[in-house]
Amino acid sequence: MPETPNPEVVTLFALVANRYGDRLTTEQLDEIKKMVEGQVEAARALRAVRLNNADEPFQAFTAYRGEP
Amino acid sequence: MSSELLFKPVRELAALVRARQLSPVALTELYLDRLERLGPKYNAVVTITRERALSQARRAEGEIAAGRYRGALHGIPYGAKDLLATAGTPTTWGAAPYREQRFDFDATVIGKLEDAGAVLCAKLAMIELAGGMGYRQPTASFTGPCINPWDTDAWTGGSSSGSGAAVAAGLVPFAIGSETWGSILSPAGYCGLAGLRPTYGRVSRHGAMALCWTLDKLGPLALTADDCGLVLEAIAGADSADPTASERPYRYEVAERRGFRFGVIPDVTDGCEEAVVANFRRSLDELAKIGTVEEVTLPDLPYEQITRTILQVEAVSAFEDLIESGGIAELTAPEDRFTPYAREAILAHDYLKAVRLRGVMAREIDRVISRYDALVAPGRINEAPRLGQEFRSAIRATAKDVMGAVGNGAGLPAVCVPNGVGARGLPTSLQFMGRAWEENRVLDAARAYQSLTDWHTRHPKLD
Repeated sequence: MPETPNPEVVTLFALVANRYGDRLTTEQLDEIKKMVEGQVEAARALRAVRLNNADEPFQAFTAYRGEP
Repeated sequence: MSSELLFKPVRELAALVRARQLSPVALTELYLDRLERLGPKYNAVVTITRERALSQARRAEGEIAAGRYRGALHGIPYGAKDLLATAGTPTTWGAAPYREQRFDFDATVIGKLEDAGAVLCAKLAMIELAGGMGYRQPTASFTGPCINPWDTDAWTGGSSSGSGAAVAAGLVPFAIGSETWGSILSPAGYCGLAGLRPTYGRVSRHGAMALCWTLDKLGPLALTADDCGLVLEAIAGADSADPTASERPYRYEVAERRGFRFGVIPDVTDGCEEAVVANFRRSLDELAKIGTVEEVTLPDLPYEQITRTILQVEAVSAFEDLIESGGIAELTAPEDRFTPYAREAILAHDYLKAVRLRGVMAREIDRVISRYDALVAPGRINEAPRLGQEFRSAIRATAKDVMGAVGNGAGLPAVCVPNGVGARGLPTSLQFMGRAWEENRVLDAARAYQSLTDWHTRHPKLD
């Protein structure tokens, strides 16, 4: 019995295919689908970790003011 | 003269230059000749900067003769990965769409090396766009696959491919590379060299191609860990043109230490070739002579997914124009022409989760690594892949690399040095990864290891 496609993969792949499909071959689209599957798999691992409200993005932001 | 000088470490060349027993002009001519003659054999060179090199060498010679010696790099030739802007010569980023690109200024690193008196001899080959488009095989450069001087059927690694080939083949005594995830340690490891990935922010990125703003680091590849320290001192430091360049001072200090504390992640050799595992075990025996080696368990976090997600999103954002315009169709590697499109499907929510988790990772790793001088691991999982071979990579999730994910994701320094040979006679390597801003500690450890072994004194047989 064929495996039921992951709806998230289907949706995200459709986004790429809709946007760029006209410049990609069938083989390239097949490869991209596998990559999207990998990305969804990675996202699942990220989402599985619980964070606290205070866990901010680890990227400094500072307000900018030009001279003077 | 050439055979005596080739493969002398920078420190030894510097002593000869300082004592005026070696002319910077003659030394530069020696390396320019080798770059011109042997560079094409290894696909290692994009542009030879002969005129600039000889001008810098003459100036160095005059200054030294006048008693104005600037330091260990004064009059020493080097090569730079072709993602560093240099006024007056093309800066191609290894990619066909940028083969005519020129900048009218020097990258900060190039300027700092000029201030130190070093002599720029060549812009060196690299994987197109520093490998950020998802390449799978060595031909991903418009200059062709970079050939490993140890075996002309083997790849150098990437993306600082030419930097690895050029130092290993004795075309320059040291080179500058860059690492986003693995791009210094890979060519250094595969080519039997020392390679230093500095702490993120230690070296200004101004004038370097941006692949991933929060992951890109610039660092040296050289014959010894000691040479890497000498180069790092010259290129480190704050820069008003790069707000991420830290004001923390850096001075390379040579301490002949023993009594190190080394940590090893239990499953760190999973997926490594047999010879890599055997050489790593031998290395641990050597390290036990200069310190303690103990197992260390890292907290359970999705390290590779965190760093990979950040890398993939930043890379497609940095090259948004090229991707949106379809310009990636001009790239050399077939996979680089479509892989970036897949990354458009990474959700903002997941990217931000990775960036938040990065903070947890950085704090947790610092808590663990602060108990050690370095975590040690094989530098690479294998010997250099063959030229026609698709290679495995943690960036594409086809190999494990927790050390690389943690080190690059948390911006930690690491140095790799040769530690043996594999089944095909190619170098294998050992990496030391330390706490943020502790380059001297990992260099101490690597130097101590190199004082016990002679792998760094072996060089490829060149025609």
